Amino acid sequence: MPLIVKDHTWTQNQNTVYISVPLKGVKPASVHVICTDEYLKVSFPPFLFEVFLFGSINEERSEARIGNGVAVFTLQKRRDESWEQLFTNIDKDKQKQIREQAVLKVQQKEAEKSKAKAARIQQEKKYALETMMKLENKERDRIQKMKDEECARATAELDFWRETQRKTAEEKENQQKTRGTGPQDNQPVNQKTVTLMRNTGDTTSGQRSRKQTAKDLPAPRSAGCIQISFTPRVFPTALRESRVPEEEEWLKKQAEARRAVDTDLAELDDLREDERNPDWLKEKGDKLFMSGNYQAAVNAYNLAIKLNRKIPALFSNRAACHLKLRNLHKAIEDSSQALELLKPAVAANASARLKAHVRRGTAFCELELYVEGLQDYQAALEIDPHNAALRADSDKICEIIQGTT
Amino acid sequence: MSLEKPQIIAHIQKSLNYTVFDSQWIPCSAKFVCMGNFARGSGVLQIYEIQHGELQLVREIEKAKPIKCGTFGATSLQQRHLATGDFDGSLNVWNLEVPESPVYSVKAHKEIINSIDGVGGLGIGDGAPEIVTGSRDGTVKVWDSRQKDTPVVNMEPMEGETKRDCWTVAFGHAFNDQDRCVCAGYDNGDIKLFDLRNMSLRWETNIKNGVCSVEFDRKDINMNKLVATSLEGKFHVFDMRTQHPTKGFASVSEKAHKSTIWQVRHLPQNRDIFMTAGGAGNLHLWKYEYPAQRTKKGADDVDMGVAGSVNLLQNVTLSTQPISSLDWSPDKQGLCVCSSFDQSVRVLIVTKLNTV
Repeated sequence: MPLIVKDHTWTQNQNTVYISVPLKGVKPASVHVICTDEYLKVSFPPFLFEVFLFGSINEERSEARIGNGVAVFTLQKRRDESWEQLFTNIDKDKQKQIREQAVLKVQQKEAEKSKAKAARIQQEKKYALETMMKLENKERDRIQKMKDEECARATAELDFWRETQRKTAEEKENQQKTRGTGPQDNQPVNQKTVTLMRNTGDTTSGQRSRKQTAKDLPAPRSAGCIQISFTPRVFPTALRESRVPEEEEWLKKQAEARRAVDTDLAELDDLREDERNPDWLKEKGDKLFMSGNYQAAVNAYNLAIKLNRKIPALFSNRAACHLKLRNLHKAIEDSSQALELLKPAVAANASARLKAHVRRGTAFCELELYVEGLQDYQAALEIDPHNAALRADSDKICEIIQGTT
Repeated sequence: MSLEKPQIIAHIQKSLNYTVFDSQWIPCSAKFVCMGNFARGSGVLQIYEIQHGELQLVREIEKAKPIKCGTFGATSLQQRHLATGDFDGSLNVWNLEVPESPVYSVKAHKEIINSIDGVGGLGIGDGAPEIVTGSRDGTVKVWDSRQKDTPVVNMEPMEGETKRDCWTVAFGHAFNDQDRCVCAGYDNGDIKLFDLRNMSLRWETNIKNGVCSVEFDRKDINMNKLVATSLEGKFHVFDMRTQHPTKGFASVSEKAHKSTIWQVRHLPQNRDIFMTAGGAGNLHLWKYEYPAQRTKKGADDVDMGVAGSVNLLQNVTLSTQPISSLDWSPDKQGLCVCSSFDQSVRVLIVTKLNTV
């Protein structure tokens, strides 16, 4: 419960009431005043002073001065009259009502004030923004104007220059006309070479003194040819064309194939060191093929394949041997195996793939499976479109197919 | 305050009804030639003149085969004949006043001529006027209009070598009657420098990405700088004054444009300023700064070149399609014409180049 202050003093004149409330040592900062037209409340914890005024006052024009240990209120009376006393006697209910009203009023006032403040801040911000935009626009316009001026100046210079060009061109034309047939300049080329021949023999040609003569040109360069080679790369394609991932894969596969030598076979103990090397065996097989000994070549390749199943050349060459031996099914199997090993399809294994396709195609045709054969020949043509023999063969197969259907 | 950096101003823009591949100023005039191909597959040469802020078509010449590139470099100032390379591999030299039949014609290559350059004409430099062409068939050939049918020099791949497309050629080092160099850029990133006096390969290097354009800063001096532009937005500036026996020429490289750099052209009036044209329709203007010392002693006491640095002066985006060709006017500093694949040709003015 706050302590009610009763030792206030008040004076009045015709139109103002002065109330002085001692602050009893409370700091001015903690004094809270609520004032309406009929009611004044000053609360400074733990003290409280309230008064229901005798007459109504004009709250807007009233003042409160808080300091020096006292709060002095200067209240403007609404009506110029003399009050008999400061308080009015009103009953509790009415007091309560008045208090509530007062609080409400104050709240309203606060709300309005804050709204007004917000509105004002908003306006000021808008104004600031507008002025900034105006300034920036001005700046931009200025730069644009400068640019346009430059442009106009440059255009004017250009026109002027062009005019001068035209004038000089006209003058030159007139000069030429007055000089009659012009000097050698506009004559055809062979005439020039004739004069050139004469000039080369005669170093101090009188023509040099004339300004508009053809210059003494050196003879055409003696023909030369420079051979060039391009930067080598593992795959000679430019960065944008290279199918690097596939090429890497192919290289890796080759590397693995080299390493995958299968050496744990019992029969191998009988063999010499050479005969365990798939490369040596391949070469042996190739030689045997060349000399016509196809069965022996097949044996050589068989052994090589037993040692290393991953080298496509072995399968491809064995297919060729089988073809010669007319083991057509085996030829087809082997060339299919070779093609399997030759994936991914890159430029490096193009020739190998070409051979495998051709061998398989031939085998199919020998078996009279012309459609499959044609497919292989088409694939081969895709790899090498410029091969005339291939084209002739595939045309022949086409005819046969059309003939039989 | 006035603008201090050079400004690139698009003075005139004209939309054409054909694909234009190259545009070249006609020397000593305010006219230029546009070369390209019509949609119906025939080649076209159009001559435009700048009049009162607009382009007037002076002449249109239609030819059988589309024309890829052209140069006035090998013709005299009085004759002003245009040498063109077309899609069929033919090199033709035209007199634009009488364009019905060429002054010189030869079936230079088996495939399209990608690039052409001329030297010895226009009163610049000494020595015989020559034309060099680079083609998709991997060969680079030098022609003299006094010798019919056969090239004067032929740079071809060795027997059995897979050929790479030659995308660009440039003449340089033509400072007296005898000396001349040809630089060629290929699609696998090779740059090769051929010395025509010794008929040999003087230097080669590989910049990993296909070389779209090479140019010496001046054709008629002891070779000073070479700029090579490539795919993927990189260009290299080589200092050509000092050649190290193993390391070649020193270079500085810069990444710009974020796309293929189609063309580089040096300003005729200042050899340290050049413009690059990019695949995103933008142009960058660069200035090269020389280093304090252009040579230094390497590890084995042999002189090595030192490359300087490149500063971007200005850039501008003109179109959404690549700008495929660019040519500075030799008569008016800052005037240039560029053509791009959006079928338009633009005349640009670059200001403040004399104070850069």
